[in-house]
Amino acid sequence: MGIPSVPLVTKAFKDLAILNAGKRGMPLERICFTPHPVWGKTPEELRVYVDGPDPITGKPLMKEVVDGLTVPLSADEKKTGIVSVSVGPPTFTDTAENLQEFYLNNGYTDFLPIVLPTQEKVDAMLKGSSHHPDEVIGKMAAGAYPPWTYTVRQVAASAVMAGCRPEYFPILLAIASTGIASLFSSTNSFAFSMIINGPIRDKLEFNYGIGALGPFAQANATIGRAWTIMSKNLGNGGIPGDTYLGSVGNNLNYNNVVIAENEEASPWDPFHVQRGFKKEENVVSLFRGLGVVPGQVARGSSVNTSPMFDAQLSDLFSTFTGFFGALVIADPLVAVRLKEQGYDTKEKLIDWLYKNTTQTVKDYKGRNYSYLFEYPQALQGVEPFATWYKLPDDAVIPHFPRASSFNVVVTGGQTNAYPQAANMSYGVSVSIDKWM
Amino acid sequence: MNRRKLLSLLGMSPVLLTGNPAQAGQTKHAAAPAADPGAVKITTVNPKGTPPSIQLIPMAPRLDSLDGKTVYLVDTGFHGSDALLHQVELWFNRNMPSVTLVFKRKAGPYAQDDPPLWKEIKEKGNAVIMATGH
Repeated sequence: MGIPSVPLVTKAFKDLAILNAGKRGMPLERICFTPHPVWGKTPEELRVYVDGPDPITGKPLMKEVVDGLTVPLSADEKKTGIVSVSVGPPTFTDTAENLQEFYLNNGYTDFLPIVLPTQEKVDAMLKGSSHHPDEVIGKMAAGAYPPWTYTVRQVAASAVMAGCRPEYFPILLAIASTGIASLFSSTNSFAFSMIINGPIRDKLEFNYGIGALGPFAQANATIGRAWTIMSKNLGNGGIPGDTYLGSVGNNLNYNNVVIAENEEASPWDPFHVQRGFKKEENVVSLFRGLGVVPGQVARGSSVNTSPMFDAQLSDLFSTFTGFFGALVIADPLVAVRLKEQGYDTKEKLIDWLYKNTTQTVKDYKGRNYSYLFEYPQALQGVEPFATWYKLPDDAVIPHFPRASSFNVVVTGGQTNAYPQAANMSYGVSVSIDKWM
Repeated sequence: MNRRKLLSLLGMSPVLLTGNPAQAGQTKHAAAPAADPGAVKITTVNPKGTPPSIQLIPMAPRLDSLDGKTVYLVDTGFHGSDALLHQVELWFNRNMPSVTLVFKRKAGPYAQDDPPLWKEIKEKGNAVIMATGH
């Protein structure tokens, strides 16, 4: 812009601010810091912040701000040029014990023991796909940072580390090709999920029966784990304070809620068919959001002999943030019962949930995500937010902005009629076959 | 961690502090522990992707002083940013009344770019203070 500027950042984000400025080419940017947090503070408290010192340097904050705009630049601050950044040599040689420590200490792992990606194991993994090991297949960004690129071989190394078999490799390449990381830099501790559809579910022995979301099959366990290890390595995600800021963190990041759809027991079209793929195609679909809750906690006529799962699900979703989507994870018993109640397609259920999961405008405006993400869009005229923000506080509006916020997947072993519900948005569906 | 150590994680600070961008290839990797000389060694693949190179951007020239200048206070939209910037505004009113202040909320959610605002600031402003609360 060519205009001197000073960003004010709260001290909790010191490392993030300095590293982000550096990665974007201004490593000596004059950043000034306030105490943390700013959110929720009174004007009197904020005046103390402004009149007080920068908590990082101890110098008076506003003097730093004024100096930041007026003190002449140093030679280093005027520098131009290209800086290349190395991530080390292509291979490492040491004892197995030392390499385990080395990978752990350098943040390459999820802090569980790994399978060391020896040349032999990586070569074996590469045989799981016809794609050339040196093919650059994607870009992945850790939050707002510039994205990193990666090859088939680099994906293979993470796949080995997670304990994947070579036949799983096309799924990991499909995920990597999207550039979507399962670790996101937000303070919100996001969770991620994937749905697997197609014949590959049986070929690779995914579990979509009893305990479908649990640790009961190698494919479910290691492919989910690999996504997080890939996110750390391919896109440099998951560095606390730098590329990861989730305040509490999310345990689902270890495995990313791998859902192989129980297509055979479902009364509805499989998820990938809804997205335009053929039933015989193998597809992985990715989701992002905040987490999963069990349906047993929901209200909605569950005490009688004919549970109303639509009402139960609506009750659950009414506690979610509409900013993220609503994913129904239905045991086949639930899905079959819903069909008997008239929902002969997933779309009919979605339509009912969209229309019957509501909130008042007052409640909507009071939500964190509404203020942070949707109010700014309302000011820009983006619908439905622009209309919603003009309505009176007691007006009733949908809890989610559109019917497409909802998705439905069927999985589980039919030991009981329990749904689960995820506050997660659909991202993308990609072919696995393309990566075989 | 200080700025020098932080930037060394990028392989940057030695370059910037010694003035040789062409030799910036630094690695952040901690050395592996010393191995037992008799132990069997194996070779493993580095799993890291490839980071982009960094184009250094020279900072904008600074002002001689803020007296009589126009400073834009830009609110990114994070919770509390507006309230914090209001206190900054009051500080200027008390301590540097010759400064003209223009308060703007950046358009869109916090991560969305706002080229019209940057254009306005370039045309009408002399300096920017941007606040990202939380």
